[in-house]
Amino acid sequence: MENVWILAAVWVGLALVATLVAIWLKISTALSEIVVGTVAQLIIGVIVGPNALGSSTAWVSFLAGTGAIVLTFLAGAELDPDVFRLKWKEAVVVGLAGFGAPFLGAAAAARYVLGWDVGPSWLAGVALSTTSVAVVYAVMLELGFNVTEYGKAILAACFVNDLGTVLALGLIFSPFTLRTLVFVLVSAVVFFLLPIVTPRFFRRYGGRVSELETKFILLALFGMGGVALWAGSEPVLPAYVIGMLLAGSVGKDHLRIRRLRTLTFGLLTPFYFIRAGSFVSVPALAAAPVVFSVLFFAKMVSKMLGVFPAVKAFRYEPQETMYYTLMMSTGLTFGTISALFGLSHGIITPGQYSHLVAAVIGSAVIPTLIANALFMPVHLRGGDTGEPAPTAAPREVVRGGTDHV
Amino acid sequence: MYKRILVAYDGSDGARAALKQGIALADALEAEISCLMVEEHLPHYAASISEVKAAKEQIDEHFRTLAKQARDLAALGGIDMDVIVRQGHEVETIVNTAKAGHFDLLVVGYHGHSAIFGRIMGSTAQSIVRLSPCPVLLAK
Repeated sequence: MENVWILAAVWVGLALVATLVAIWLKISTALSEIVVGTVAQLIIGVIVGPNALGSSTAWVSFLAGTGAIVLTFLAGAELDPDVFRLKWKEAVVVGLAGFGAPFLGAAAAARYVLGWDVGPSWLAGVALSTTSVAVVYAVMLELGFNVTEYGKAILAACFVNDLGTVLALGLIFSPFTLRTLVFVLVSAVVFFLLPIVTPRFFRRYGGRVSELETKFILLALFGMGGVALWAGSEPVLPAYVIGMLLAGSVGKDHLRIRRLRTLTFGLLTPFYFIRAGSFVSVPALAAAPVVFSVLFFAKMVSKMLGVFPAVKAFRYEPQETMYYTLMMSTGLTFGTISALFGLSHGIITPGQYSHLVAAVIGSAVIPTLIANALFMPVHLRGGDTGEPAPTAAPREVVRGGTDHV
Repeated sequence: MYKRILVAYDGSDGARAALKQGIALADALEAEISCLMVEEHLPHYAASISEVKAAKEQIDEHFRTLAKQARDLAALGGIDMDVIVRQGHEVETIVNTAKAGHFDLLVVGYHGHSAIFGRIMGSTAQSIVRLSPCPVLLAK
């Protein structure tokens, strides 16, 4: 479709439909956007033509890519440095186990069970090594675990797990040339300077209508993303690290994060997730459901084998350990980012991409359902007595016009 | 007669009628009254913490507004009233709160679903009447 505005209207219309579906089904907009993208491509592809949705046009790719970069930055910026300091040993041990075991396990399953080539197998390992901090955070917040030591430890471990995934994605497929060395050196300088310069720069020039802070952050993300791409790496790698480094300053500026959120969810991520969904081939999934099952169970089993003993080492009870392990077995955003990276760099085929994304979505849904149904450690929910637990949000009790939180 | 009254409130017309009835009853019977609001779930399977936080902020803001409405109605009737916000399934949370708080009257609003919807799904009010540990007053 050559008319860019009609195409834009189609994409924004799909985003609107996805949002309505998310509201009706009480699921996240991202998940809904992936499914809507898949269905739209299926229908529009049959009626109009396979390229009618324009998923591979330069401007759609740019908006979607920017969505992935800003989303990754926000994911890094939401790290709570205080919690990480408190629980760093446990977070590092469990997080590394949560990354390493499924990375190797899923890669081995893809290579030796499915017979994939080496490159696609490593990509499968990366895509299925993730956990989903956001899925876990929603469960923690809803059930009141987010204010407990237990819940904070799980969230901190999830950050380390995802850092492992992002590093693997950014480095494994990098060609390791002189450009890689330049990328590492530039990264080291920028990563050292940003946490020092950014807060001072914002204090001096920020807080104006011109949104200087947003431009500064986008400059850092695009600039480092460009260097990463030039070196054959992946732009989300520096984005996640920049997010983590600025978590203590920009991450605590709720108004700033809220504005970035508006930009991200209002315009950018719909393009990213709908595009990610549009590349999923339903016929490929229907033709080989066993591939999805192998990938999904490879992730689940290897997460169990890696995370369970690591968590157990920190003297949790069996039920707490199992719940912790299942939470670490989730995945969504970085899984789809990794799979899309593989597809766009020709590492995996559209069929392999479809199975990986299906396995990633399965891991977003199934572990949380099992965990909450069978292994929820209710005794850790702030002295639970069968009553709903308090969450970080104000539990308002009003007596005679006086609020008690 | 009734000493502890629990009103379920979600801001709908039916719930507002229930709250007015509950306040009037509490005043007439010199009973204690509490107002319960049940928060809806956060979006499941979110892509980023930002999405979850944004949803949580919206939900909190919505319930702050509802709490103020309830508080204003109680103040108009000259009544002291607890406003409790809980998270969970609507029917389960209302019934469990009534049980745990030893309430002896539950006041809920009539939502007015279609007859077909009511037959297929069973309305919230019908489920509460069926499961409640105490008498239920259905306000319309």
